[in-house]
Amino acid sequence: MQLVGVDAQRAHELVWEKITTLELPPGAPINEQELAEEFDMGVTPVREALKWLAHENLVDVTERHGLYVADVNVEDLQQLSEMRLSLESLSARLAAERVESDDLVVLQALRKEQASVTPEESRDLFDLDHRFHQAVAKAAHNKYLAQTLERLFGLSRRLWYLALPHLELLPASVEKHLDLVEAIEEGDADRAEEIMRKHVKEFYDEVREILEAQK
Amino acid sequence: MDKDNSSRKLVLGIDTGGTYTDGVLLNYDSREVLATHKSLTTKRDFAIGIERVIEGIAIEDPSEIRMVSVSTTLATNAIAEGKGKRVALLLVGYDPELISSFNMGARFATPNYYYCDGGHDLYGREKQELDLPGILDKINEVKRDVDAIAISSYFSPLNPEHENRVYEAASRVCDLPIVLGHQLSTRLGSVERATTAALNASLLAVLQDFVIAVRRAMENRHIDAPLMMVRGDGTLMSDEFASRTPVETIHSGPAASAIGGRFLSGLDDALVLDVGGTTTDLALIEDGEVTVSEEGATVGDYETAVSAADLFSVALGGDSHITLGREKHIRLGPERVLPLAHLAADYPNVKSRLRALARRTWSEASPEWLEYWFLLREPEDSRVLQSAHAKNLVELLDGGPKPVPEIIEHLDVLHAAQIGADDLWRQEIIGKAGLTPTDLLHVEGRYTPWDIEASELALQVFSQYQFEEPDEIRDRAWRQAVEMIVHAAVTFLSKQTLAPPTEGGREKDDIARWFFFNSVYNTHPHLETLFRLRESIVGIGAPASFFLEKVAEVLHTDLILPEHHEVANALGAIAGSVMVSEEVLVYPRLDSSGLEVLGYYVQTSEDRKDFDDEELKESLAYAKDLARERALGAAIRSGADNPEVVVEMETEGLDTYRIRAKAMGNPRLAR
Repeated sequence: MQLVGVDAQRAHELVWEKITTLELPPGAPINEQELAEEFDMGVTPVREALKWLAHENLVDVTERHGLYVADVNVEDLQQLSEMRLSLESLSARLAAERVESDDLVVLQALRKEQASVTPEESRDLFDLDHRFHQAVAKAAHNKYLAQTLERLFGLSRRLWYLALPHLELLPASVEKHLDLVEAIEEGDADRAEEIMRKHVKEFYDEVREILEAQK
Repeated sequence: MDKDNSSRKLVLGIDTGGTYTDGVLLNYDSREVLATHKSLTTKRDFAIGIERVIEGIAIEDPSEIRMVSVSTTLATNAIAEGKGKRVALLLVGYDPELISSFNMGARFATPNYYYCDGGHDLYGREKQELDLPGILDKINEVKRDVDAIAISSYFSPLNPEHENRVYEAASRVCDLPIVLGHQLSTRLGSVERATTAALNASLLAVLQDFVIAVRRAMENRHIDAPLMMVRGDGTLMSDEFASRTPVETIHSGPAASAIGGRFLSGLDDALVLDVGGTTTDLALIEDGEVTVSEEGATVGDYETAVSAADLFSVALGGDSHITLGREKHIRLGPERVLPLAHLAADYPNVKSRLRALARRTWSEASPEWLEYWFLLREPEDSRVLQSAHAKNLVELLDGGPKPVPEIIEHLDVLHAAQIGADDLWRQEIIGKAGLTPTDLLHVEGRYTPWDIEASELALQVFSQYQFEEPDEIRDRAWRQAVEMIVHAAVTFLSKQTLAPPTEGGREKDDIARWFFFNSVYNTHPHLETLFRLRESIVGIGAPASFFLEKVAEVLHTDLILPEHHEVANALGAIAGSVMVSEEVLVYPRLDSSGLEVLGYYVQTSEDRKDFDDEELKESLAYAKDLARERALGAAIRSGADNPEVVVEMETEGLDTYRIRAKAMGNPRLAR
């Protein structure tokens, strides 16, 4: 039914936000009733949203004890990083080969904005980083690639928040973006691919270190 | 499934008017009205009134409901009260000097408009390169201060390339909703298109919230059915379409009334007069359809490119405030108040106070004493009580309704305007009551749901003050009402202006006014003048029977009051057809000198196809097929059942052709 659709969508957004920003940390129990009250909606749409989230590997359903926020483990991280490493590199390569002038204008605008955000505004920086990767994928002109990357990026968001207190990557990544835009503009596919691979790899290496240190 | 009962198709129509929100439950096949419900309109949030109707109307089995359709003044109201969201309007290729020299900037419906390089010319050729970097810079600069972005590019209906490019790029640098001018209007008027885009952007969130609230209310009553909204021309669109093009719901209320009038009367030609509590709305039915205005709809000070029914509204209704104007001229409206009969029924104390007032001498019982203010609800937000007057006023009214002179004295001001209570009225925290036509009906015994004695006392006080008999005052008030409605009908149909009746004076040298007055009052000893309306009048709305008999007489025509005319507006919300129109433009592709035709472009709102020279015929045929296909698809997506398509072509001169396909069908009911 459509009404459930509207509210379930909103519930999905809100819970997704809570989980990926660690407001609901990994392993935390989830109470449908409480969430429904907090969002001022029925339990049905919340339940619907949690089903989607379970499908997206962010919520675990256990027979006996109900719903939990899915755990984060090094194994997941490994698998996720393998996928993103190769697909983001492909995305950068294709972008360098296929970029159009309007794509470049967007990349330049995002880079300019990145330069004006201070490191303290970490959330803004993350969102901008996300947009930047989206814009590169768009410049690659392959919609399936863009869709796949979008899903993987969503999963990485939680890792990023987990690592955030220890992370010093961001200003450096702004530099990387500058080089990457240059490479794409010049049509240098090898260089674009290399910069992107390094950029993504550094991120996962750092996150892995932090996770292992926390064990 | 095969049970008789489950094959009944019921539809629920809802109309939010200025005073009442009406609901009607109809058997779609037999056209039988099964239930009706009326609830006060809640201007602060229309959804509340609608929820009350959905909760209050008698429904045996909600699973039988196959469609809910709503006409709402939400958009019109949000614009008039500045409740829309903040919008940045990007004008691509507009000439700033031209706009400012004609002082057109104020017409854009947002103070945040920006000029950018780009745009096309009359032949769809790029006039200037698009300054995309500059535009993205601008968006970055303003995106935190606005809620939505509207883009209108010069001659975008002929070539939307620049709008589309800005959309693609802008949606990658921000998350704000983005509205494109060419998707809302294929008319060439660039200022109206920009205004329409800006208004649409400002209404997106408003209408989305509304749709969600109505869907929730449906869910609470277990109604699982498509939701439709009425457009300004009376046709229907799905709630999803409406959420994207909220600006098209402007004036949907009066349009639905007109369609309801036609539905109930079965007449193909008629003047529909909808008498509500606040206003009387006029619309013309010709050949079975509501006439649509040639210009776009105007709302407040803004001219839009939105297609809307040709309507006329006069601020006179059953709850219009009757006051004393200049030279003891009786004034009706424009303000709407609660009838004193109603107030006294809710607060018995008011009646005893009116009794005491009637015993006073005339100089101590002026008509101001008949205006009461009262508390409608406790303010939830204490911010509205920031001024000392507002706070004192609410405290005073907490003890019950008070007449205005007493309030003025208590707050120690000279005039009611000094209290600054406008916000409190608008948010429906305090209400006003006074003498109204509804009170006169109580005195006459024609319509008496509330306290008759209160009405009699009020009329007595009002008459005493003018040393007149109450009967005489009643006659004058009704004459005034008839004059106002006849005046509205004459000016609406003739499209001529005539000074409105309230501005008094029967100037000797003004033949038009003399003719009008003589036609209404028939006073001249030798000359008889008259208006004769060729069509019948269809009266709808609860007070129609009381206001319109004399109006029909003066216009020398019949008055038809169909059964259920009091909820015709809500019926109109379900009686309309689903309609989608799509346009395709064909225009020449010229060489650089602009003299030689190289071929033709076939332009839709999304893309453009190129035809070589000598292929005008082919390109037109292709365009017609394309328009038909697009309209058909869009109508089905918008909830039409088996739509029929009509394709029309008109030329705009300059070898440019406009092909319009209209797909129309009954709404598709659930299951």
